[in-house]
Amino acid sequence: MAGLDPQFIWFGIVSGSLIALGALGLTLIFGILDFINIAYGEYMALGAFVAFSLNVEFGLPLFVGAIVGALVVGPVAIALDKAVFQHFRNRSAIVLLVVSIGLSFVLRNVIRIVWGSGSKRFDVPIEEAPTYFGVRILADQVGIVVLSLCVLGGTYLLLRRTDVGIAMRAASDDTDLARLRGIDTERLVLYVWLIGGVIAGTAGVMLGLDAQLRPTMGFTALIPIFAAVILGGIGDPVGAVVGGYAIGILQEASVVVIPSEYKPLIGLILLVVGLLTRPDGLFGEATR
Amino acid sequence: MTTSEPLLEARDLRKTFGGLTAVDDVSFTVDRGTIVGLIGPNGAGKSTTFNLVTGFYDLDDGEVRLRGENVADLSPEERSQKGMVRTFQITRELTGMKVRENMHLGGQDHDGEKVLHALTGAPSAREREKELEARAEDLLETLGLWELRDEYAGNLSGGQRKLLELGRALMTDPDVLMLDEPMAGVNPRLTEDLLSMIRDLRDDGMTFLIVEHDVEMIMSLCDKVIGMHNGEVLTAGPPEKVQDDDRLLEAYFGGEV
Amino acid sequence: MGYASLVVTVAIIAGIYSLLAIGMNMHWGDTGLLNFAHAAFFAIGAYTSAILTTTGGEGLLASRVVGFEFPVVVGLVGGSVLAALAGVVIAVTSVRLEGDYLAMVTLSSAEMIRLGIKNEAWLTSGAQGIKNIPRPMADAFPLQLGSVTVGYDLFYLGFLLVIVAASYLAFTRLSESPFGRVLHAIREDEDVPRALGKHTDVFKLKSFGLGAGVAGLAGALWAHFFFAINPSMFLPGLTFTIWAAVIIGGAGNYLGAIAGTLFVVLTRQVTRFIPGDIPMSSELPFIRLIVIGIALIAILYYRPAGLLGDEERLVAGQMEAE
Repeated sequence: MAGLDPQFIWFGIVSGSLIALGALGLTLIFGILDFINIAYGEYMALGAFVAFSLNVEFGLPLFVGAIVGALVVGPVAIALDKAVFQHFRNRSAIVLLVVSIGLSFVLRNVIRIVWGSGSKRFDVPIEEAPTYFGVRILADQVGIVVLSLCVLGGTYLLLRRTDVGIAMRAASDDTDLARLRGIDTERLVLYVWLIGGVIAGTAGVMLGLDAQLRPTMGFTALIPIFAAVILGGIGDPVGAVVGGYAIGILQEASVVVIPSEYKPLIGLILLVVGLLTRPDGLFGEATR
Repeated sequence: MTTSEPLLEARDLRKTFGGLTAVDDVSFTVDRGTIVGLIGPNGAGKSTTFNLVTGFYDLDDGEVRLRGENVADLSPEERSQKGMVRTFQITRELTGMKVRENMHLGGQDHDGEKVLHALTGAPSAREREKELEARAEDLLETLGLWELRDEYAGNLSGGQRKLLELGRALMTDPDVLMLDEPMAGVNPRLTEDLLSMIRDLRDDGMTFLIVEHDVEMIMSLCDKVIGMHNGEVLTAGPPEKVQDDDRLLEAYFGGEV
Repeated sequence: MGYASLVVTVAIIAGIYSLLAIGMNMHWGDTGLLNFAHAAFFAIGAYTSAILTTTGGEGLLASRVVGFEFPVVVGLVGGSVLAALAGVVIAVTSVRLEGDYLAMVTLSSAEMIRLGIKNEAWLTSGAQGIKNIPRPMADAFPLQLGSVTVGYDLFYLGFLLVIVAASYLAFTRLSESPFGRVLHAIREDEDVPRALGKHTDVFKLKSFGLGAGVAGLAGALWAHFFFAINPSMFLPGLTFTIWAAVIIGGAGNYLGAIAGTLFVVLTRQVTRFIPGDIPMSSELPFIRLIVIGIALIAILYYRPAGLLGDEERLVAGQMEAE
């Protein structure tokens, strides 16, 4: 594409990493539990704020905060499942969606009470961005991309190589079938929340690193993440990641054509086009 | 009645799901004022054929002709408005609506379904509603559901739901009524009544296409029977002829050919 | 005096939110459509009416060039109509989608509309918002009626209540009409009305348009009472609040929708009447949202039909759902 600044491609890869990571966690949960968890945005925010506390309030290095922040969300997601979602297991996807809205109310405001509603930053040095090949590349951004790739790769191996992962993929294709084959779906659900939660926490920390921390940060990030999940085909982790990068890069590249304030529009357009033309996702495997 | 042209005609219907061909070059005709039965073992493609004819599935290839007009590109609701009305195999009555509301829903050309008429309570809408009420009462009485008119449809038994669905479809005054296993779960005494009701309606000029598992019943009821197997029409003709068709017998009792 | 005027303001908020809930109940309660764009319809109503009734090119920054200075009634009608149109347009793209997909598309669309309002300053004054929105019949108050002085707020409340009552009657009538019967059938199982020859897409568009229109009217009434509007008033949280109200009150029942609204608004506003020096008073705004969230979940668990919803209908409906 003529006139496309490689800088935008880099930005696209950075925001694509964030979207892909978020979408991966959401699609895993969606695939097994079969509902849209609106509170997922708050799971991301929670990871970011825990990391913030350790980093800024306790003065620990950010990577320590980030690891703890990400890991904490897994058990929290399990606890919230036990406390809330478990009681609605046999209800419709729409009821669960509304329940997750209620949970999102609760979590977001708990975050506001604990951490305040203002915006915050991690304690990272603000540096002049070095330029490579005419592209300004921040250390934070490299961190985001590398860590995202690590988590994406790790999850891929987990889904391909471990018993839990393989069971998870089977159940994502068809929960009833998995149950018939003797897979303990309730135990699987725990793993899904654990893995999905940790991924959400990681995504939240990355989001905070890329911009600022706000109680609404996760919710605001949800729309392109939804778009990536749908584009990739619900419950398809590889599709979600490809969709995430596609949306990230297209959004940033779109500033060549449309005002940059409107780049979130790309996510919506892809979402609608994706839903209307390819309801089964990029690779047409998902069963819905 | 002259039957120069079939009321309903399926020509070379084809539908594949994934790699599987569910319906393969299925053709048949349904003459006006007849009862036609569609039989075949499980997986023969009867329900898929039903969905193709009524527009709930898109055709991969072929034509559906109603009074000579190709309706293959029309939506289910448009086909229904042209007089081809179906019921569903697994009863799809509106469980959260009362029996009476289910029936009234079948009414066609109802001004009360327009926003402005509904808001202003237009006389034409009220009149139509009265007509529907009378017709619904008649049908519910016949079907033995009148006592249950103010029950939620979800509280009915399986057989009662079948009857309600039949009644609701009759409310539309269809030309062709397509019934997907109408007798499943209906108690035997009522089945007799229903069969004679269908015959009476046929004698009044209504046309039926019926999918049914109960082969004996189909043979006694229908003017013409179409036997399907593995997505294809094996045989078609008067019941006596189809009854003795070896291929159909083999399809039913011989398992895989 | 202080409390009395607060009560009137809270009542006005409750009235406007009731209109939003009435619209939402047409979508979700009657038709089973998952609309998550309600805040956007509210915003379109508010902005349309504000732009129609104010002058453009005013103020320090004078970035807004469009303004018409029409009478308020033109704004109210224009706001409702444009919001209804927006509802139809969003529905056209997505009304064929399965339930939770529709939720995602409407939620995203609403954010895009808010983005547009925030960025098109020539039309909307952008993040600054529109100020000095005229109040209808403002000159006539305070009004002396014999020995009683009627303040403006009280007049507006009365005006609003008339509109809420009229909307309630109109929507209830629609819901109980043959039109509503088709909507209910769509809610239960869309294939059935299609098999009976109903153009369900058209019915869904009408439902979307009507519900969005009344939300637009609510927005216009909001703008003309509170003088000023800005994009941060129309966040998705508002949509979720209305959802909570409709579910808590009992979807499918317009009286329930209003009851749920009262519950939600009172929960959110009750803290205005609590002295500021109690413990955790600064956290109260957040606590009351937590209360609403918990109430929503609890209702769904203990009383899925909502406070005033039809329990029997729900049970009958679930018997078939496996």
